[in-house]
Amino acid sequence: MIEIQRARIDVEEVVNSVRRDDAGAIVVFLGSVRLDPEVQALDYEVYKPMALRTLTELVERTKEKFGVLEMSIAHRVGRVPVGGDSVVIACAAAHRSEAFAACAWVMDEVKRIVPIWKTEAGPRKPRTRRH
Amino acid sequence: MQVQVRLFATYREIVGAGQFAWTLRDGTTVGQLVDAVLAKYPRLVGHGKSMLLAVNHEVVRPDVVLREGDEVALLPPVSGGDR
Repeated sequence: MIEIQRARIDVEEVVNSVRRDDAGAIVVFLGSVRLDPEVQALDYEVYKPMALRTLTELVERTKEKFGVLEMSIAHRVGRVPVGGDSVVIACAAAHRSEAFAACAWVMDEVKRIVPIWKTEAGPRKPRTRRH
Repeated sequence: MQVQVRLFATYREIVGAGQFAWTLRDGTTVGQLVDAVLAKYPRLVGHGKSMLLAVNHEVVRPDVVLREGDEVALLPPVSGGDR
């Protein structure tokens, strides 16, 4: 599953979407908004059709590159408060080594090429924050 | 012919709009369109080098020739950031 959504991400739903009987490992990554002085939340902006297309291609490329069985990515847009999950990735593979490797690699790629931008929301003037 | 121009994040804030129509001559390339947009909105000029360009949701090089109805997106860097 590939989802870009305003609502809170249901982590269990993302995990269940990759379950398979031939998968011996499921690795889950949660990217959360961390506490930072002056930051109360992050505002995520997306170019949705391109982001969906890029994520879909990325998942296919990751499955091929690492031989993983299933991969799902859910990303939030709009305002996400401190402590909230902005991205959830679940990756199922026969063994844990490729699941860990694929999950780490795809997260780096999500930050590098998927058209999603974030701005800090806090009492001070907003500024763009790196992931 | 006419194309739609989309702007995001910093660029959208600078221009004050996320989308507008742009009329241009047949045979215009993406790079030529960007030059025209930068001439109209000079505050974007400093961002020109790091700008990514997409046509119909696909990253393209500036020499791609535009067609009627294309959606051209000017994308700020998505930023690699900390691991």
